[in-house]
Amino acid sequence: MSEAQAKSPQPSADPERWLDDHGDYLFKYAVFRLRDDIVAEDAVQETFLAALKAYGNFEGRGSERTWLVGILKHKIIDHFRRVGREAPIGEEPDDGPEHREFFDRPGEWQGHWNANWAPNDWHATPAELVERGDFWKVFNDCLSPLPQRTVSAFTLREVEGLKSEEICDILSIKVNNLWVMLHRARLHLRNCLELNWFKQEQ
Amino acid sequence: MALKLYDKLKHAVRYWLLRTLPTCQQTVELISQSMERPLTFGESFKLKLHVWICVWCQWYMEHLLVIRDASRTKADQAPDLMTSPPLSNEARERIRRRLTNQN
Repeated sequence: MSEAQAKSPQPSADPERWLDDHGDYLFKYAVFRLRDDIVAEDAVQETFLAALKAYGNFEGRGSERTWLVGILKHKIIDHFRRVGREAPIGEEPDDGPEHREFFDRPGEWQGHWNANWAPNDWHATPAELVERGDFWKVFNDCLSPLPQRTVSAFTLREVEGLKSEEICDILSIKVNNLWVMLHRARLHLRNCLELNWFKQEQ
Repeated sequence: MALKLYDKLKHAVRYWLLRTLPTCQQTVELISQSMERPLTFGESFKLKLHVWICVWCQWYMEHLLVIRDASRTKADQAPDLMTSPPLSNEARERIRRRLTNQN
């Protein structure tokens, strides 16, 4: 490399180098949110293709990685929009298990926790869980039986922290449906984590 | 004697409250709503009272917040610190081919 080049590296659209430098980073970012290798791989590919087209707008301002992550975020939201549009016919927006059995008790305490399903003390802090790779595996497995749109709503709310209105717009649903979906996702996930993670840990 | 009376009274109050307040099934729904919108004064009062006397719903509420907090912290973690597997070789090659075809 000549001295001039070393001093002022001319940024150029080099998708192969992008793939080497940022491919894994973008993939891990995407797969945590999309929970599916193939879908995440597609999102990464779409990101590089879009970056190639839009390279003129970047012109080396700021970090290349930040720029690519910005594009990827849009691709991830695009995926959730598709889920909203393509929800299978017949799948009501508020689909998902109601888990009535959790509150099934004979007699006067009907509607209160059935002891078989009642929560236990977790003895866990969020900080500890973040570090446990196997916890997130169980987390994904617990979400996977839920309807796609319910999982998307949950991810956009609890992982991305988007506001209700934004999520309703992305998934083409009404806010009341969103609340029902979130409630069912939480009810299901909490119980599944307790059975498959917290009880196993103790 | 006094202690026994106090215990009896405590149980009676707890029993009466649980019979009067929304059930656990209704309360967990309210807990979820409380994470989405401000509750009305009445809702919030009933929720607090129920959670005060029902450790199961108290734990339920704690757990939902642990899940939210952990999910958002995890999402903020730099992806290169995540222990999940990287791009597979096949996927990498597929993307590489697609990108070079573009040039």
